Amino acid sequence: MSAFFEILSPSYLLFPALLGTAIMGLVCPLIGSYLVLRRTVFLGLTLPQIAAAGVSFTFWLQQSGFLPEWGQGERSIGMVGSLVFTFLGMGLLGYLEQRGKGLAEGRLAAAYALAGGLTILFIVFNPAGQIEVLNLLKGEVIALSQGELRLLAVVFGAVLAAILAFHREFLLISFDRDLAFLLKGRQVIWDVLLYLLAGLIIAFGVILAGPLLIFGFLVLPALAARPLVSRMSSFLILSSVLGLVMAVFGFYSSVRLDLPLGPTDVTLGCCVIFLAYGLRRVTAKASAALLILVGLALLPSSCGSRTAAAPVPEAKAIHAEQLWLAKVKNGTDSSLLLPATNPLRSLAEMAGKISSDYRQSVMDLLRDSLKTELVQKGFRTSLPEETDARFPALSSDSSSAVRIAREGKLSGAVFVSEIWRWESESQKFVRVVADFKIVRIDDGAVLWERHVQRAVPTPSATNVGQASTDAVREIVRDLFAG
Amino acid sequence: MKSEQDLDAIKSTRERGSLNEPLALVSLQSVSLGYDSAPVLQDVNLAIYPGELVGLAGPNGSGKTTLFRTILGLLLPLGGTLSRGCPLANFGYVPQSAALDPQFPLSAAEIVEMGAYGRVRSFEVFPKKEKQLAGEVLDQVGLRHLMKKSFFALSGGQKQRILIARALMVKPKIMILDEPLSGVDEATRHSITDFLIKLTREKNLAVFFSSHDLEMVQRVADKIVRVDKGRVWLEEGKRRLQS
Repeated sequence: MSAFFEILSPSYLLFPALLGTAIMGLVCPLIGSYLVLRRTVFLGLTLPQIAAAGVSFTFWLQQSGFLPEWGQGERSIGMVGSLVFTFLGMGLLGYLEQRGKGLAEGRLAAAYALAGGLTILFIVFNPAGQIEVLNLLKGEVIALSQGELRLLAVVFGAVLAAILAFHREFLLISFDRDLAFLLKGRQVIWDVLLYLLAGLIIAFGVILAGPLLIFGFLVLPALAARPLVSRMSSFLILSSVLGLVMAVFGFYSSVRLDLPLGPTDVTLGCCVIFLAYGLRRVTAKASAALLILVGLALLPSSCGSRTAAAPVPEAKAIHAEQLWLAKVKNGTDSSLLLPATNPLRSLAEMAGKISSDYRQSVMDLLRDSLKTELVQKGFRTSLPEETDARFPALSSDSSSAVRIAREGKLSGAVFVSEIWRWESESQKFVRVVADFKIVRIDDGAVLWERHVQRAVPTPSATNVGQASTDAVREIVRDLFAG
Repeated sequence: MKSEQDLDAIKSTRERGSLNEPLALVSLQSVSLGYDSAPVLQDVNLAIYPGELVGLAGPNGSGKTTLFRTILGLLLPLGGTLSRGCPLANFGYVPQSAALDPQFPLSAAEIVEMGAYGRVRSFEVFPKKEKQLAGEVLDQVGLRHLMKKSFFALSGGQKQRILIARALMVKPKIMILDEPLSGVDEATRHSITDFLIKLTREKNLAVFFSSHDLEMVQRVADKIVRVDKGRVWLEEGKRRLQS
């Protein structure tokens, strides 16, 4: 349970990201409910894709020099593209709808295909590199900054207020247009307002969370809620609650299992739909309550089986004042060398003019930070290569580490670290999987161990190298602070 | 400033020559109606007064719904003069229940409450007095006990009565019912027609309903509008002849 409540704490590093996801999970289904009821679900799929095309288009324009640099505001310029493309797309689809030529589904399918194709083409054209743009397009909500969270809260809060204020008008215009005309006159404004609200949350949501997650939040909670209710008010409330549960549970699973958030949430949403249809035979109220309870019960238990991680103990506590800090083993396929800060140096390295051997790596940074912290914990820390320069990096397999330590005639305890994954696709966060252990050399007993598997946000980093440095600092802080 | 409907009403009154005569709630003079300039019905002359029960009879596809939609302002007439003696918000419209999308999760009470949406402002909480009124109209159609049930889970006859309750919730002066008796059993037909007669007699409402069952329309209505093959003509109903 504590692992779950940890992410709900405002002091939790990823709390802004969780809050942002929860806001989207709460509000998107309210708009999505109307899309589902009006049988325009495809619009919920097509508009996010059009928004994504807008994002990649503006990045391409910016990288090609047609738009000015906005400093660190990559997402801001992407947001402009997302908004412009979303509303242009809606306008065009609305115009074609008015003309009434062809099938509505056909138009949406063609628009989806076109937007998907353009998104990829703009990425390919982008000279800045595809991975960076792809990451922005994926909308890594985990890297949500405080400013972006505030913007998200304002926009989605305004949308929520509008839905609450005009829910009767939206229902009337969606359910019975003839009655709406008799009671309120020919008020196209309610249609326009509903699509405007949909456009707003899609345009902002796509750049912050990605098209897949936004489509999932729009449609899946409403589809899951529909078979369980027979009242419109219950439908809207249940959709929103399921969206919130999906957001929090999906976020938790994503962080704990190191899975991408969008696909995790969408998969979870589909499971909830199957569950909802399975529960149809039970009474509506009981099944809705059961669905929420199942979600809440699964939340802490499904992935939270790990016990709370203990910090590195004090030296006295484990009677191992002499500690050998082995080199950090790189278990990845990459060299994990930090990029040179001097661009001319990088060019020279690429051309093979100078060696990159002496460049610092993530392993060096990690070991330096570990040494500083271990000394502060009271350990008499030594480096094995000081006794034998050939001493290798030790793997996290304790028996193998102990064997090598004994062969190297070391005594006391050895601290071993092994990195399995270190991916800094953008400067906003680094995905890390690593193992850390303190092993007594005499009997091979593991005195302390920690498995780290998480995405480490690095919001203040300005480049990938800085992101790795910040991530090392954060991981070591976490290891020693608990 | 007078609304277009008010001006229509005054015009209609003047045309009738005297302010003492009852005001026609709907008046059509040489009206042509249809879609995209293609007339479905031509030279329609009709006036409906308070307390009248008017039947519209004709086979399927003869233009009954087109005539209703034109009277309700949902279609513009292609020619002639159409005037209304009350605002459109006082028209209680009962569509065919099959025209409503069962995808919507709506209880019977929620359907009935929609009739009050024209009086409730956007930011307002749905008023208690409107909830009471919804209960009263549900009582009138004898279905208060089903108010929490899903509308689309009700039988055909129950759906029709709920839609009639919704139309009454509008506080109408005239009710227009599109095929209210289709898809319901004989007993329900009688209870619905009895209820419509009661509305005209006790509440002085004008009721204009359509059916393809000519015999039934002749038995119930004061006045019958017959439509077939683009032609429209009026007949007296048996009830009026008997009275």
